[in-house]
Amino acid sequence: MSIKEWVSKLKILDPKKVKVLSANVDTIDLEVNGILYINAKPRRPFPYTHPECLIFYTSSDEEIGMLRDYRKLDRKSQRLLEHVLNVVYFMPKIKRIVSISSRGGLYEWVVDTDKGLIKFKTWSSCARFLSNGKVIIKDVNGNVYCVENIFKLNPRNQALLSIFI
Amino acid sequence: MVAKSDLKINDDGINYGEEYLVLTNKRILIIRDKAIVKKYRLRDVFSASLRGYLSTIVLTLETRNGVVSIMTFSRARKKHFEKVVTLINDITLHRIPYNMLKKHLSERVSSQSERNKLSKSILIKLFKFVKPMWYMLLITSLLSVATTTMNLVPPYLMKILIDEVLIPRSNLDKLVMIILGLLGVNLSLTILGILRSYALLKLNQKLAFRLRAKIYEHIQMLSLSFHDKFSRGAIISRIIDDVNRVLYFLTQGVSTMILDIAMIAFVGLIMFSMSPWLSYIALLPVPVSLIGTAVYRKVMPKYYHRLWRKWSRVISTLSESLSAIILIKTLGKEHSAVKRFKDSLNEFIDSNIEVFKNEQKFWPFIGLSFTFSNLLVWWLGGMQVLSGALTLGSLTAFVSYMWSFYRPINDLANHLRLVQRVIVAGERIFEILTTKPESIDKPDARDVRIIGRVELRNVWFTYDGIHYALRDVSFKIEPGEHIGIVGPSGSGKTTLTKLLLRLYEPQRGEIFIDGINIKDIKSTSLKQQIAIVMQNPILLNASIAENIAIGKEDATLEEIIAAAKAARAHDFIMKLPEAYDTEVGVYGGRLSGGERQRIAIAAALLKDPRILILDEPTSSLDALTEREVTKAVENLTKNRTTIIIAHRLSTLRNVDKIIVLDKGTVIEQGSHEQLIRADGLYKKLFEAQFADFLEERKRKVLIRG
Repeated sequence: MSIKEWVSKLKILDPKKVKVLSANVDTIDLEVNGILYINAKPRRPFPYTHPECLIFYTSSDEEIGMLRDYRKLDRKSQRLLEHVLNVVYFMPKIKRIVSISSRGGLYEWVVDTDKGLIKFKTWSSCARFLSNGKVIIKDVNGNVYCVENIFKLNPRNQALLSIFI
Repeated sequence: MVAKSDLKINDDGINYGEEYLVLTNKRILIIRDKAIVKKYRLRDVFSASLRGYLSTIVLTLETRNGVVSIMTFSRARKKHFEKVVTLINDITLHRIPYNMLKKHLSERVSSQSERNKLSKSILIKLFKFVKPMWYMLLITSLLSVATTTMNLVPPYLMKILIDEVLIPRSNLDKLVMIILGLLGVNLSLTILGILRSYALLKLNQKLAFRLRAKIYEHIQMLSLSFHDKFSRGAIISRIIDDVNRVLYFLTQGVSTMILDIAMIAFVGLIMFSMSPWLSYIALLPVPVSLIGTAVYRKVMPKYYHRLWRKWSRVISTLSESLSAIILIKTLGKEHSAVKRFKDSLNEFIDSNIEVFKNEQKFWPFIGLSFTFSNLLVWWLGGMQVLSGALTLGSLTAFVSYMWSFYRPINDLANHLRLVQRVIVAGERIFEILTTKPESIDKPDARDVRIIGRVELRNVWFTYDGIHYALRDVSFKIEPGEHIGIVGPSGSGKTTLTKLLLRLYEPQRGEIFIDGINIKDIKSTSLKQQIAIVMQNPILLNASIAENIAIGKEDATLEEIIAAAKAARAHDFIMKLPEAYDTEVGVYGGRLSGGERQRIAIAAALLKDPRILILDEPTSSLDALTEREVTKAVENLTKNRTTIIIAHRLSTLRNVDKIIVLDKGTVIEQGSHEQLIRADGLYKKLFEAQFADFLEERKRKVLIRG
């Protein structure tokens, strides 16, 4: 079988036929092609590089289908979906690096994020630069923070962050 | 082809001496003292072999007239004559044409001799790398000259200070001028130092980039046979260590050596102009230092080598014990592991102390010779000052210049030693750069849309020009057909796939794809349409998505997911928090063997190849994972020409045809049933693998009966 045939087997969802009815903490009630799915799970196959792409699973982990770009859903569905996605893919956005100090092989970051001023610790190898200027930072506990675009930070912050890339 | 022995047997018995074996296309000749003493016709020879004794080895031939011993040599020549035996057997046993063997050997010899010519011109070749940056080298050299010249000013100012200010106790204006002068000199030295360091850094980095990029680019273009000859460590060592040595020499070493020579001449002139008599005394420790250093370099390396060896032992003890930590813990050998590590550390410490003790046999004496000379200069110079023949300022300045004279002498001696190391490093770098890529596309090579018919016609292949991995291999595969290749280890199975991918070129015979010689197909076109899934696939240190899309960089998200689903990898990927954006780590180390295998299958699937090679894809997996991977493989191989290399014959359940290789030759081919009926090697391999199963079945039949 060629790859084209395999692609044709994917269940690609038409955004016009997908409606998010309500949002719980980490699940949604979803209507796809007129079928209702309670406690469905939205998952991002590419959480950093293509966060707009989603795959929905039923409560018993069966695949419902793939939505190429959830931003094409109606406004209400988008809002409800983002409410859940923000829980499942919680990732504070760093707006400014206040300070980075090193202590005993660990780095202590103080950053200003969209969720407020926070502190966390990382190892020296902690940042991942993605091609679109996005930088993902993982702390010692595995929590993830992101810089949406390194080039939009002030020069001092850019210089500080570039040490870790 | 000629081989030389180091022993000869004559009427006096065995003695050291030379005999030559000459292998022509018809005969084997033994020559002693320029005369042919024995000769054998190759057509009368069946085979050659070696008989090993305590410290001698005898070359024997099995001929029509029986076994004859034709030459004796020491064990030092063993490896050389092993090749001779292989060559004779290739001609007599395996019927490989003499000219073919000679051609491959002479190709190897000529490339070796080309390399030998290199060392003479190494320094010139190295300087060619600096040519585009000559102006930067000039700037750094000029800055070095300025720094050195500036360093000569303070002693002169000190002379004026003592003679014209301090001793007469007058000239306040001059004192201020001198202090300002010294301040100016020091400020200038600081600025010059910064500028010089910056210029050196820029030159160093530019040159490092040029050298390393050139070597790496060249390595990427070389065929796999290059990587067979050079280990990964050897290549890395050339790119890192050898380039560092060359860089230091080209950027700092050369300008420093020129400066040292200029400094010796310049300061020497100043010293002689100030006091020729004192200058001769100042020269006294120079020969002591030069001779002492020469002896030191002769004596000390063995102690340093031992020190490095001991340090290597510390590292290897540590590394071994950490790798075998489970074994150590399960055997309860923690204390003995600690003891072993402590022992290795103690040996290193002892060795270090010995190096120190031996160093004390040289440096204190050399240092003392300089001190005596210095004291002598002060004493004789002091006498001259007291008698009024020399001013106190001149004496002080002279002593300062004297130390400025000694430093470049020592530096120069060190740098001359560096030149030798740089030549060796340069040779190692150019050994890579002068290796020619083997598979270069013909100018008229073309892109071909492959259907999948494969044919090998009388293919011969050798890695080293002596031992043949494939001998006269011929077979055909029809489009969409699945064939299995089986055979014992070393039978040439993997070599065959490497030839199909044109990673190597066969020395004789041809390979056709859809009736077109693969030499006429662009190698990029070929590699795009042939995929290989290895036994232990190595992934790039990138995300899962990037690894799947490696063969198709413009793959869509849907294609990546579809490929992963077909390879039965999608479910485990989606369970990872970062899903397809998960980084797999170095060599894919963050994933299990089965997961890596399925990512590799997804990558092969996305490439949509027309010909697929599976090199033992399930052999290292557990039963459950094997089942998953086998299903993935089944999805992958549908409607594609597939070659499956297998040790485990169970992998070949659904193939159309099986080819059995032994010692590089196709000895059987056909379906499973045909090969079982043929009662050959395949049947033996089959029975060996399923012996227990067959035994159990027989037993059950007997019980039932």
